[in-house]
Amino acid sequence: MSEIFNIQLVQTTLRTATPVVLCALGCLMSEQVGIMNIGVDGMMLMGAFFAVLGSYLFGSWVMGLALVMVVGVLLGLFYYVFSVKFKSDEFIIGVALNILAGGLTVFLLRTLFGVKGSFSGPGIVPLPTIHIPWLENVPVLGPILSGNTLLVYVSWLLVLVSWLFLYKTPLGFHLRASGEAPEALRASGRSPEKMKRLASVLCGVLATLSGAHLSLGYLTMFSENMSASRGYVAVACVIFGGSNPPRVFLAALLFGFIDALGMRLQKYIPSDVTSMAPYVVTVVMMVIVVLFRRSRLAAHAKKLG
Amino acid sequence: MNTGFVQSVRALFALKPKQKLTTQYLFSLLIAVTLAFLVGAGLMLLCGYDPITCYAAMFKGALGKPRAMGNTLAKTVTLCLTGLAMSVAAKAGIFNVGGEGQLFLGALAAAVVGARMDGAAGWLIVLCSLLAAMAAGGAYAWVPGALKVKLKVNEVVTTILLNSAAIYFCSYMANGPLKTADRGIATGTDSIASYAVFTPLIPLSNLTTGVFYAAGIALFVWYLMTRSTVGFEMKITGTNARFARYGGIRADRLALWGMTLSGMICGIVGMLEVFGLHHRFITTISSGFYFDGMLVAMIMRYQPVGVILMSFFFAILNIGGSAMELSAGISSEVLLIVQSVIIFFMAAEGGISEMVRTRSAARRLRRAARKAEKEAAV
Amino acid sequence: MSDSAPIVRFEHVTMQFPGVLANDDVSLSIRAGEVFALVGENGAGKSTLMNLLYGLLQPTLGKIYIKEQATGARYDPLRAMALGVGMVHQHFKLVPSFTVAQNIALGMEPRKHGVFYDRKRIDAEVTDLCERFGLPLNPADVVGELSIGLQQRVEILKALHRGADVLILDEPTAVLTPHETDELFEVIRRIVADKGMTVLLITHKLGEVMRLSDRVGVMRRGKLLGVLNTAETDERALAAMMVGRDVIFDEFRLGSPGVREVLAVRGLMARDDRGLPAVKGVDITVHAGEIVGVCGVEGNGQTELMECIMGMRPQTGGSVTLNGLDVSRRDPRAIRAMGVSWIPEDRLRTGLSERATVTENLLVGKQRRPEFSLFKVHYRRRNAKRYGEKLAAEFDIRSGGLDIPMGSLSGGNMQKTILAREFSFDSPVLVISQPTRGVDIGAIEFIHEKILEKRNAGCAILLVSADLDELFRLCDRLVTIYEGQITGRFDAGTIDKQQIGYYMTGGRQKGAEGA
Repeated sequence: MSEIFNIQLVQTTLRTATPVVLCALGCLMSEQVGIMNIGVDGMMLMGAFFAVLGSYLFGSWVMGLALVMVVGVLLGLFYYVFSVKFKSDEFIIGVALNILAGGLTVFLLRTLFGVKGSFSGPGIVPLPTIHIPWLENVPVLGPILSGNTLLVYVSWLLVLVSWLFLYKTPLGFHLRASGEAPEALRASGRSPEKMKRLASVLCGVLATLSGAHLSLGYLTMFSENMSASRGYVAVACVIFGGSNPPRVFLAALLFGFIDALGMRLQKYIPSDVTSMAPYVVTVVMMVIVVLFRRSRLAAHAKKLG
Repeated sequence: MNTGFVQSVRALFALKPKQKLTTQYLFSLLIAVTLAFLVGAGLMLLCGYDPITCYAAMFKGALGKPRAMGNTLAKTVTLCLTGLAMSVAAKAGIFNVGGEGQLFLGALAAAVVGARMDGAAGWLIVLCSLLAAMAAGGAYAWVPGALKVKLKVNEVVTTILLNSAAIYFCSYMANGPLKTADRGIATGTDSIASYAVFTPLIPLSNLTTGVFYAAGIALFVWYLMTRSTVGFEMKITGTNARFARYGGIRADRLALWGMTLSGMICGIVGMLEVFGLHHRFITTISSGFYFDGMLVAMIMRYQPVGVILMSFFFAILNIGGSAMELSAGISSEVLLIVQSVIIFFMAAEGGISEMVRTRSAARRLRRAARKAEKEAAV
Repeated sequence: MSDSAPIVRFEHVTMQFPGVLANDDVSLSIRAGEVFALVGENGAGKSTLMNLLYGLLQPTLGKIYIKEQATGARYDPLRAMALGVGMVHQHFKLVPSFTVAQNIALGMEPRKHGVFYDRKRIDAEVTDLCERFGLPLNPADVVGELSIGLQQRVEILKALHRGADVLILDEPTAVLTPHETDELFEVIRRIVADKGMTVLLITHKLGEVMRLSDRVGVMRRGKLLGVLNTAETDERALAAMMVGRDVIFDEFRLGSPGVREVLAVRGLMARDDRGLPAVKGVDITVHAGEIVGVCGVEGNGQTELMECIMGMRPQTGGSVTLNGLDVSRRDPRAIRAMGVSWIPEDRLRTGLSERATVTENLLVGKQRRPEFSLFKVHYRRRNAKRYGEKLAAEFDIRSGGLDIPMGSLSGGNMQKTILAREFSFDSPVLVISQPTRGVDIGAIEFIHEKILEKRNAGCAILLVSADLDELFRLCDRLVTIYEGQITGRFDAGTIDKQQIGYYMTGGRQKGAEGA
């Protein structure tokens, strides 16, 4: 048992959860303004590709992240223009964006790097790992909290920041109002479209950053379709997190845990089965959350009536 | 809980088929296709290829030889059936994005049943495999359908997640318990007796007698969706489920049946792939076939006839792509980009044309007013 | 007053929507310190004109001046507020999950440390504002949980907080009880007299115009027909101007109810969507050949009551019987089969499918009859089309063809479509909610006649309406409902509109709970 349940498991959990956390925070922003963003999976994939591209071309992870953010802003604007300005079906746009991402990344991979399948090499500069000197030597906590890659810490920080932003600042109020009652916001002289644009851009940046973590933090390579439906898992996390950043974070951690556990169990169970687990668990979780909400509602009603 | 969030989830539940195909819509489609080809051409130029050569290679590769034509038609069949599977569920107001998983399970079930029945009469093998594929695909669609209908669990997300689960499951089965003993087969199940599988209609092509089964299914779906009483009830349910229930239609049951039928069709597509092409289950039986079909369905607004016609066009892109890659040297993914551009334009069609209408009406009015002012001044 | 400068001036304002000319060359001046009423039928362009004034829309042509300042091309609500224009919309523009203070401050929240929302400061400001205008509210209450009257108060305070001296009220009394209406009018009189405000009142209730306004403007089909001094006109003249012809509502004769009890609701209980009790032991009986009206302020359980009777909502207690047969806990399909038709209050959500065609909407519920379905399999489209044409002619449904999507019809024609479908079942029981909401005066007459025709043919009719005039005009008996309970039962002619308001707001008649 100790071979499976040890500190490394926690480390892997945090590492595998990070892309889902980042992506789910992006989704959450989008959900708050009433845009269902199913295209985050494609955004993640694009992020993964452009992170590698930037890092490889300029020989610096900073440039990799910078390129990713530019792409994220553009993708966010793209999603905004289609779903809000052109009033397209968000579902169709999302699915099409995922397909575009699949095609474009492979196309660019072949045209720019001349390889098929995956691209790795010494030219790619990974994200730095951050060692916190005084914490590093603390047993148990040290190896967990120190020595992670940059975006892991960024994702933790962003959970807090996004919660403060949404629930403690006027701008966050406007953002939430633009989803819940856009006309109220408009009548108050603020443009709900601007808020939707902001949320969409934030979503694009966060989703692409999650991809950057995949290709520069978690691994140091890009491979075709490396997002592997994690974007959809993020959407599911937002659904059971009730669009509250800390709860979404917990949901993503749970996913990371299942994923990490599966990887460690590969010694004993075929890898296909362990790869299956996160998806099945996510679906089961969605059912449990619905049942739980129902029973809570019933209990609430009973108390009142 | 946050109401904005609830609203957007509700908006997701409210995904419904758009209105009918109109001449204006088809005209926009033509523009979208042209624009998408231009975008593709731009990309080719950027990468230093000649677009005309590339597109010529594509069309030649898809339609040039009988064999190529056969492959294109076979691809049309797959796209058209998956597209109809999407449409039949969408018509009833429920979205099956999990056809890929249902296809895999259907293929596996058909391959296993087909191989186990070695020695039985050919027609019996086909029939039993067909039923097994339908059962596997249908059951796998029924689960998210029931979750949606009974518990209101978002079916778009569950079906997508179940895709990955099914594909891993099938891969496990084909690598593990059901792995064939045949030599030279890395992963895959036992093969089906050669007398039971479909025979090619055009030598060396993928077009087999399976096309007749597909035609039968397409005809059935078309009739169901456009000419039957159930189709009428499905349309009402799909456009407003609450209204359907109010009107005495069993909306939940219809949505669940739509979903299950959709899964069954996907299962059959898997079975056709097994019996037509590979003669066994292999883990690369489909590479996102369902998603291609789904897009065709969405572009054509879930209208059966439109889906059938559009499938042919997408099949040309699909089959022609690999030929283009071989002869012109450009990556076939460029056509995937072309496809998604078509979809983007078509999804935005309603919004853009509304914008154009509003602006032109305002312009006309302003012009008329200016004219009136001038006349008054004179 | 007549020589004071205009505070708001419209000059040749035209507003073009795709396919609709909402305002057609409107010129109008509003004087400072007056209550100006703008009347007209639905779709006459009143709301559009006010949305233009508030900067929610940009006029296609023409100019608007506020305090002699031209509103430019970049005019928006923010600039309107800066110029002192505030608006209380018919459908409140509030964020339900936010508190009173958050709603009042929306768009101009005070900040602390330059970033965070300063809750203490705004709460104090709101408390102060409430005191100054004598409109008490708790700043920390969540708006979605307030009553409609209080929500309206939040809207008014929101406008006042922004320093409005021109207040636009769009159909403010549509959702209020008679008592709340009186209160609102008191507030309006007070702010006009004490604070020198100018009030623009949009309404189609002519009685209110006469009670409150100094001048009245009449609109029809986008045009302003004229401006009158209220003191020099009367309701009848205004109505004729609004509709373009004389409107005479005949008094209808009462029905002659049979003794047979057709629909009986006993001790019915149900919860609303949030799981809270909404119907708490309601008893109603309806006999053949009578109309029983349920009057109450909206949101007192009428919606849930109707949904329960039709099987659209699970009931948590009591029973519903039809001709002595218990139909509690049956689905709408079964209840319809037993001869009940229902006209629901929310047309677009429940009563229609906007994207299905008119014919399809007319056919729903009958699609499995042999004439429309061969062996219950094949949909007989030609017969359906013929049937649709027949019904459309009979019920005077005007549309650009019967194969166009339902959503492109006007509100009145949508309502007539529902009426045509439901009345053509020839059911002995009719359950009707808000039959004339958002419908033109002409169509109201038609709908009322059709309902009475049904009653005279011996149908048992249960009618829920927020419009007291309608209930008093049609019903043979009335019951009042308050917070999910019946508070009074009256025969027509034994009570008037002012008295019934007492029971609609919680007053209780002795022995009302019993049947």
